[in-house]
This record gives sequence, structure tokens and C-alpha cells, in this order.
Amino acid sequence: MTINRIVETDSPEAFIEEIEKIQGALPKRIDANPKNVEKGLAKLVLTLIELIRKLMEKQAMRRIESGSLSDEEIERIGETLMRLENKMQELKEIFGLEDEELNLNLGPLGDLM
Amino acid sequence: MKIYSYAIIDSNSKISDSINGLEGVGVYNIYYRDIGIVVSELSEQIQDITQEHILKHEEVVEKLMESFTVLPVSFLTLFKKKDDVLLMMREYYSDFRENLDRLRNKIEFGIRIIWSGETIRNRIIDTYKKSSANISITDTSPEKSFIKEKFEKYKLDKEFEEEANKVITLIDDFFSRFAAEKKLERLKSDNLLLSAFYLVEKERQGDFKEAFERTKRTPGDLKFLLSGPWPPYNFIVLTKNADMFNRKPINQDLAGKNTL
Repeated sequence: MTINRIVETDSPEAFIEEIEKIQGALPKRIDANPKNVEKGLAKLVLTLIELIRKLMEKQAMRRIESGSLSDEEIERIGETLMRLENKMQELKEIFGLEDEELNLNLGPLGDLM
Repeated sequence: MKIYSYAIIDSNSKISDSINGLEGVGVYNIYYRDIGIVVSELSEQIQDITQEHILKHEEVVEKLMESFTVLPVSFLTLFKKKDDVLLMMREYYSDFRENLDRLRNKIEFGIRIIWSGETIRNRIIDTYKKSSANISITDTSPEKSFIKEKFEKYKLDKEFEEEANKVITLIDDFFSRFAAEKKLERLKSDNLLLSAFYLVEKERQGDFKEAFERTKRTPGDLKFLLSGPWPPYNFIVLTKNADMFNRKPINQDLAGKNTL
């Protein structure tokens, strides 16, 4: 049997652009060479904090959606999430990290976020 | 001298075809019980990985696929000596045997679908603005304004994912009729609606391609890409962790770029 591989699409440019976009956004490994080990570690730690922050935010949104929070509770959660987001922003600036860098490729499991 | 590996195959016989691997050296089969691993000898460590190296690795796997059921091994999987190869084969034999049986006479096809994420989001925003069912959060303080903004984004993302799932279900239901197994990756980006891998019986590949042609002709703004047949990169299931199967070839991820 001879394999006749095909790649068929009417929009090759659109697919190349999208695939390159998602591949470019995610480094396969944490860059931990001696010159920027601090940044590499900060990236790992901030990625995990960002994951937890996003989970907290999602949980809060679900509770608002279900209507189970009072006005005061919504205000308190708003304050907490706002402070957390501002603090994350400060830390990202200190270590020179962009939003799209805060992710990890988990191999066969896919991406962390 | 190192031993470079390409694929596990369902044969303990000699490779009858002359196939050259990396450095132009012929490949051969190291057998263990009723299966084998196809390897070639490598005189030195590969310093700079080039596209040529990767393509050669894939070329060998694809040639083997013409005659055998293959479990492709990740690029750059090396062994120091034959005893190490046999040790690995002994450890993973039952996993290899099970996978070779399950994947016999099957091939993999990839389907990717792009939609216009921006158009869909704008449509949802328009509907949301007109809807009277919104949960109203009064923005009387910065904290509440912040939450209101977050909540609107949450609702938008949720609607967006629901809309995506509806379209994916419709398409996947159709392709699944022709496949033995599947793996779906949804919304890898706002525009990349679906990256799907289907394991298809060799004798049904014509039906699968025909199904793609019919789907492609469906009126609408979706863009479709079909690639394959590939070795079953996405369908090898091991009970023990083995890095040698974890990496897909770069060529498959960028199929459009390299082969169009």
C-alpha cells in the first residue's frame, strides 16, 4: 500500500496564521538558564497564581449568576479580585512578563490554561 | 555509536525494503517476541536539529506504515546499546502489543476548522444588549464597576463556548460515523474552533474523505482543513509513562505550512 498524504483546504493562509499564533504563544519549557533564572522561576510561580486567580474569579461569577450573593458580598468580592488583579499586574511588570507568557505546556495533557 | 529509533512495528522479521534513515544509514528491526523496533545506527550526537532531520524521521515512519502497523516513536529517541533497547521492549511489551492490536489497519486524519471568533462575539454582544434577562449590577462603586465588567465578560465567554460546542457537536457527530476513535481540541484560539483527530479504518478512508468534501460544501463562514493519512500519533495509549511517544511531529502541527 502506498500512502497518498493529502492536505486539503481552501484557506491555507488562515490556517497557517492560526496555528503559528497558538504555537508561538506557548514556550515548551520554562527558560531557566543561569542568566535569567529569576525570571524563569517568577514565570512559573506567577502562572500558578494566575491559574488560582482565574479559578476564584470564575467561581465568583458563577455565584453572581446564580443570584446567591448580596450587594455587600458582591462589593467585597469586587474589592478582593480588583486588588489581586492589580497586584498581579505589578508583579508582571517587575519581571517583564506578558499575559500570554503565563501558561505552561503540559505535553500530552495540553496547556495549563 | 548510538541506536536511533523510529517506530515499533507488529513484526519480528527483517525489513525487506531498503529504507535509509538518518545519516543515510539503512534501518533494521530489533525484534522482541512477536514485535520489533525499527532503528538505525547513528555515528554522532545530533547537534543542530534541522527540518531535514525531522522529515527523514517521518519519511522512515511513513514507509514502514505502508507495510506494518506502526507506533511512531518521538524524534530523537536514542539508545546507547542493543541491550537497552531490549530492556525497554521487555518493560513495555504488553502496552505495545495492545496498541498494535487496537491500531491494526487504522490510520489517523486531522481536521481543523476556523470560524470568525470576532463575528460570533459581536453577535452575542448585540443579543446580550437587547436581552432583558441580564443580571443587573449597579455600578455605584469602583468595586462594583469592576465586577460588572468581569461579569459581562464571563457571560460573553460562556455564550461563546456554548455556541462553539453546538457547531462542534454537529460536525463531530457527522465525522464520528466514519471513525473508530476520536480526539477533539476545542477553541485553541478564538478563531481555531476545532482541531480534531479521527482514527479511521483503512478501508473507510474513502468514506471519510468524501464526508469531508460534503461538509466543506456546507454553506457558511467555516473554513476547513483535512490532513492525512498519518500514523496514529494521537491514539497511542500507554499504561506506563514513556516520553518516547509524547511528542508529535512538528510536520503534523504545521501540516498546512509544509505540505500545501
